[in-house]
Parts: sequence; C-alpha cells; structure tokens
Amino acid sequence: MTSLITNIHDLFNLLQFPFMQRAMIGAVLMGTLGGLLGSFTTLRQLSYFSHAVGHAALVGVALGVLLNTNPHWMLLPFTLIFGIITLYIIDQTDLASDSVLTIVLSGSLAMGVILTSMIQGYRGNLTAVLFGDILAIDHTDLILTLIILLISSIFILSTMRSQILLTLNPDVAKVQGVPVEVYRYSFVILLSLAVAVAIKAVGVLLVNAFLVIPSATAKLMSEHFSRFLILSVVIGCISSIIGMTASGLFNQASGPTIVIVQFLLFVFTFSWVRLRRI
Amino acid sequence: MTQNPSRITLPILKVEGLTIYQGKYLAIRDVSFELFPGTDTAIVGPNGAGKSTLVKGMLDLIPHTAGKIEVFGFPLSRLGNLRQLLGYIPQNFIFDRSFPISTSELVGLGIGQYESVSGRNSSSVNSWLCKFRQIRRQQSTAIKVALQRTNAYHLRNKTIGTLSGGELKRVLLAYSLVTPRKLLILDEAFAGVDIQGAADFYALLNQLKLEEGWTVLQVSHDIDMVNRHCDRVLCLNQTLVCSGKPEIALSPQNLLATYGPGFSRYQHHH
Repeated sequence: MTSLITNIHDLFNLLQFPFMQRAMIGAVLMGTLGGLLGSFTTLRQLSYFSHAVGHAALVGVALGVLLNTNPHWMLLPFTLIFGIITLYIIDQTDLASDSVLTIVLSGSLAMGVILTSMIQGYRGNLTAVLFGDILAIDHTDLILTLIILLISSIFILSTMRSQILLTLNPDVAKVQGVPVEVYRYSFVILLSLAVAVAIKAVGVLLVNAFLVIPSATAKLMSEHFSRFLILSVVIGCISSIIGMTASGLFNQASGPTIVIVQFLLFVFTFSWVRLRRI
Repeated sequence: MTQNPSRITLPILKVEGLTIYQGKYLAIRDVSFELFPGTDTAIVGPNGAGKSTLVKGMLDLIPHTAGKIEVFGFPLSRLGNLRQLLGYIPQNFIFDRSFPISTSELVGLGIGQYESVSGRNSSSVNSWLCKFRQIRRQQSTAIKVALQRTNAYHLRNKTIGTLSGGELKRVLLAYSLVTPRKLLILDEAFAGVDIQGAADFYALLNQLKLEEGWTVLQVSHDIDMVNRHCDRVLCLNQTLVCSGKPEIALSPQNLLATYGPGFSRYQHHH
C-alpha cells in the first residue's frame, strides 16, 4: 500500500517533467487519431494494410541512417509512398489484397533487415523503430500529430455520409457521385501518415493496435454508426490516458502499457457483451 | 400507360450501341434502348445473359468498348448535381452485414452529402446554424416518411445485421426513395422477397411512377411479376433479343429466343 502511495507521489512528480507532459499529450493525440481513422480502417478491411505499411518504415529508417539523414524524417515519405504504391497494386491486379500485402510486408522487412546489417556501429535506431519510445517524442512530433489529427477530423466529418456509403458499397457511392478514388487514396495517405507519426512513439510492432483495438471494441457495443465512431475515438483516447498513468505508476514501458489497456478493454467489453446475451 | 407517340418527350435514359467486353469475352453486344418518363421497364434473361453487366456498363461502373449513354440528356460524367435524381440498388448492396449502422442511418445515406431534402436554399452566414438545424430536421422527416412508405418504420433503430432478408430489401427501397428520384435502377432488388412483399413493392413503385413520374428500370427473374406490373420488357441474352409490351415480349416464341429451349414458363422455380 505504502509503495503504491509513493508510486502515486512519483507519478505526480513525473508529470512535472516536460518530457512526460509531451508523452501524455502525444499519447492522447495518437489514441484519438487511432480511434478516428481506425473506425474506417477496420470496416474497409485495411488493418492489415496499415500493418504492412508500418513495416515499410523499417526500410525508411535504415536508409535514413545509412544516408546520414534524420531517420524519422525518412519515415514519413517512405510510409506514404509505400502506402500509395500498395493500394495501386491492389487496384491493378486480380490478386487478393492479403497476398499483395504479404508481398509488400515481406519484401520491405527483408530489405529493412539487409539494410540494417549494412549499418556500421550503433544500431539503436532499429530497436527504437521496432518498439518505439513515447518519452522521446518532441514538439515537432506533437505538432505533426496534431496537424494530421485535425486534417483527418475535417476530412472524415465533412464527408461522413460519402465515407460510409463508399465503405458499404463503392458502386452505389460512385453512382451517387462520390469521388470514390479520391476519397480512397486520401484516406490511405492519412492512414500512412498516422502510422508514420505513431511509429516513433509505439514502434512498428504495436502501432496497429492503436488503429484496430479501439474500433473493434467500439464495434462490439454499437448499433448506430455515430455511436461506433464516437466510442472508437473515446476508447482510443481513454486507453492512452489510463495506459500512460499506469506506466508511470508501475514503471513500465509506455507504448506496451497503453496497448495492454486497449486489450483489456476489449476483453472486458467482449465478455460483457457475451454475458448480457446469455 | 405507354407513351403517346405524338407527344414529344425526351428520354430519361438513352443507350446507344453499347458493347462491353469483359477481358476477351464479349458480354454485351450492340444494345440500344430508350426509357421514357413515368415508365416501368424490366430487363429479363437467363443467368449469364449479361443483365447486371449491362446495368453496370450503363452506370459507368465498368468500362464499355463502344456505345453512348445519356441520362436526363447528359453523358454520365457531366451529370453533376442531377446525379441526386438517379437511384441505384445493386443485387448485393450490403455485403458486410456486420457493419455497425442502424436502419435510419442507412436510409439517411440516400440523401446526398450536401443536399437538403427539399431543394437548395440560398445560404447566408448569419442563419447558418439555424439552417443547419432546419436541414437536419427536414432530413430526419424525410427518413421517417421513407421508412413509413416501405412499412419499415418500426425497424428504424435496428442494426442492419439483425434484419431479415425481406426487411433489408424494404429498408433499401426506403433508402432509394428518401429523396425524389427521376430514374431508379434496381438490380434484382426483390429477389428473395415473398409474394406478398413483392406485390407491395410493385404497388409502391407503381404509385411512385404514376404520382411522381419516376422512371424505373429493373433487372428481374420473376417473369410473372414482370408480366403483371411492368409496362415494357427488354429480353436480353448478350444482345437485345426483343423488347416491347410484356404480353408481346414475353410470348412463348420470344421466351424461347431469349432463354433457349430448356425454358418452360409455368415451371419456372427460384
């Protein structure tokens, strides 16, 4: 008990530090962004897409180190270009999208590993890309995340009906005059950018959790689309707050703690929905 | 019922020499027809005759090799705001039944993104919020009316995943009549609905046609229903085999030409 009280005391001390405040704000922004974009990502069956694009980030970071540039600035254009090319290949072939995504994922992973092995000396950047470090995010990252969140919110909220219709049935959306291709590519661009900014904080391996788990949890409880979208955002945001607090209290890595909170919320919701049905 | 030839009316839909290849396979060959306002036309034909392909080609959803399509007198690409007057319900509108959306939200999707239900209002900055509320109110009224017309108002708060097949069809019909249309294209929208349900649908379509001047084009498998309710039939088997009033187009000789010798009208099961 006393240890918990000292822990809480420590947490308050911790929150005095600017890096901790930045981490908290960053986590909340990313949780919100993940919940917002995740809602459509899961419904459009793009969750594996963001996973594959995330792995392309490895290549970007390794290249960045090799070329002596800031690896994190290589990340953004790299995931973006990979995202657009991947969607283009899916559109242009008869292959199932999961085949294309596996090709892209394995290809970029293999390239990333080989490029990394060419890096002389310190390879700390690689672990940072795989696991992320939310405590290391700086003002630029925060502003970038905020900008992407704002653009995504405006884009999705102002074209909501078209977005839903396009997700339900692209043909019907096209007949009603929705610019289906423009919206699809815009969404994938935003998704790739969101993955890129979140990788620095939570890493390649866990970034997809932010997109998939909150929206999947929201879907379990929703009968209306409006409720689904709001819940997805709220769950994303709340898991970040709880996760950051818990990571401070128990002195654990922040990214994984947030993902564990998302996971527990999902398990709890799932059991609750199941039990209620019996 | 049928068009008076002496009256000059512009066709709602005009298809001229439409030819569609799917890969190397010739799916539709040189199809031409016109639809006039206030008519209900059915496309019939055997499986694989290209009925859905024809509809998709007309709507520019798949590319065509040759031909010209005009809707309301314009090519589809130049339709602009008139697209709102065009309704389309494909065979598999909802393929993800787990989609978290309620019936009334789905019907609301039928209203375009920026359109208000009762036409465009001039916008003024001062009363923007007021107008926004007014539009919201008009839209929810339109959704309510549409659901009531198709006898589905009691389903308004249900998720689409919990609806039965027939209920879903009624909701989709409500979707297509939530705003006024001029041309409604239904691709086997009534397949899987029981006889009473189908009769209700046709009665409603008939009402829309007579009272509001809608033009309906439907792909159908149900020859008897088509015979009873449609003004005109297009028999399709890769190309237009015959067209005309149901009693003529659906004569035994024409059915034989469309469906081939294996078809017997009174033993047609689904």
